[in-house]
Amino acid sequence: MGGTMPSNPSVGSDSAGAATQPLLVVDDIYKQFETAEGPVVAVDHVSFDVAPGEFLSVIGPSGCGKSTLFNIMGGLLDGYDGHIKVAGETLRGPHASVGMIFQEESTFPWRTVVDNVAFPLEIAGMAKAERLDRARHFVELVGLDGFERRYPSELSGGMRQRVSMARTLASEPKILLMDEPFAALDEQTRLLLGDKVLQIQQDLKQTTLLITHNLTEAVQLSDRILVMTYRPGRMKRMVEIKLPRPRSSEIVGSDAFGHYVAQIWNDLREEASKGLKDDEARRGGTRR
Amino acid sequence: MAETGRLTAPAAAGGWAALPLSRRVLLLRVFIIAGLVVIWEAVAASGLLFRDVVPSLVTVGQALVNILTVADYKANIFGTEIMIPEFFRHLWVTAYEVLTAMLIGGLAGLTVGLALGSNPFLSGAFERFLYYLGPTPKIIFFPLMIMWFGVGPGSKIAMGTLSCFFPVVLSAAAGVRQIDKVLIRVGRSFRVNTWQMVTKIYLPAMREPIVNGVRLGLGVAVIGTLLAETKLSNQGLGYLIINAYTIFEMPRMYALLILLFGVSIAANALVGRASRAK
Repeated sequence: MGGTMPSNPSVGSDSAGAATQPLLVVDDIYKQFETAEGPVVAVDHVSFDVAPGEFLSVIGPSGCGKSTLFNIMGGLLDGYDGHIKVAGETLRGPHASVGMIFQEESTFPWRTVVDNVAFPLEIAGMAKAERLDRARHFVELVGLDGFERRYPSELSGGMRQRVSMARTLASEPKILLMDEPFAALDEQTRLLLGDKVLQIQQDLKQTTLLITHNLTEAVQLSDRILVMTYRPGRMKRMVEIKLPRPRSSEIVGSDAFGHYVAQIWNDLREEASKGLKDDEARRGGTRR
Repeated sequence: MAETGRLTAPAAAGGWAALPLSRRVLLLRVFIIAGLVVIWEAVAASGLLFRDVVPSLVTVGQALVNILTVADYKANIFGTEIMIPEFFRHLWVTAYEVLTAMLIGGLAGLTVGLALGSNPFLSGAFERFLYYLGPTPKIIFFPLMIMWFGVGPGSKIAMGTLSCFFPVVLSAAAGVRQIDKVLIRVGRSFRVNTWQMVTKIYLPAMREPIVNGVRLGLGVAVIGTLLAETKLSNQGLGYLIINAYTIFEMPRMYALLILLFGVSIAANALVGRASRAK
């Protein structure tokens, strides 16, 4: 259970005496980029871990290095200090146990829904009949049954994002990484898809790490929320969300929910306004 | 007043303006063709030009029928000897040359294009050369090709290959660059190998630019091959046409041009249909 995890993990938490072995260990990650104006530190010594079955969100203003962290954990980006362990193995490149869902539109437009979802199984070399069968199961899981033979261009944005989700789930990752998967969607669709994610997560006991800048989404879905600072991206606070499970989007109206949102916004506001000021200063600078 | 009258087409007036646009276009086309035929026949009958420079369309038609029906060539098809019009032998030679050129030039163009598009170092080093060589008329390499590949179909295939390589390589390279980067990240996250990345992500994502490149490539491969045939050869459609010209058989030459026109249209339509198929 996520509830047994310490709410404020220390740096290098390998030795944390938790009963369950963490599925994902992020140990002292530091990443800087070379830019025209000199080096920029994107992620500054971030450490945390995720227990099996846990839902953890990383929240922070734009420019806090969330997406950099996402790409590092997914094995798509290297050249960083520190290390990542997935199920006890040190990460070197994309790992079979890690499934990624991207923020951008990422379905293959030339494949039907079911063929999109079957993609990871095809790569794994599964026989056609079997993989289509399995793919149909995951299409159903995200509530797209009846749309198997449609092309992504025939679907709405929310439906396409569910296709991506089903495709990643079909590879049966031990840990699911999501980078603002609903950022491009409207608020209602976002809340309803959040319900879908909650339901899937409860059905599959899917360990999940969600990158987001949306407070409601983070509180609605998470067991714990890591609040990041604005550039350089450091850990500001780890907040445990002790809302009862199973949850649905109905809790958005509850007092406890509002309490958590207010608490996290308090931390976040300071960072977001730093980001805003920085952005304005930069724009002012180029004007002169 | 006049303006409003023009805006609402007077249906009651009937005649030309009342016809739907597609019908008007069709009528105009028929009229243009009929007009050209009349002018052509008038010039042919007038005797203003040398005899046969503008032959009557009736003689051109007769030559066309002759080319397609007079079986004057003994062909060996799968071991059985039958008599066919010689035109089809030459058509086969040209088709063989063009298709071989498309196969070699197209595959080479695709491979090199993929490499250039996905590797900034290679594209930085080589693509500039391709841009300059691309529009150069390839016929200047024909003497070289004759020396390397002989006067037979080899040098014609080489000319066609050279012609079609450039449009294919340039559109393939541009095609790689327009692939949505997130699709490549998806592939990497599912740990596809290089072969799977090319066949399951790059190529399907590049379908449109590849088809366009092949289309352009086919056009210039036909030009390159025919041009080479007219310069130095003893078979193929280019040879037939230039031969008819040399012995001043103008009706036959015109008939061959019409046939070649038809073959080109058919080839283009085939590629067009292939590009629309899902």
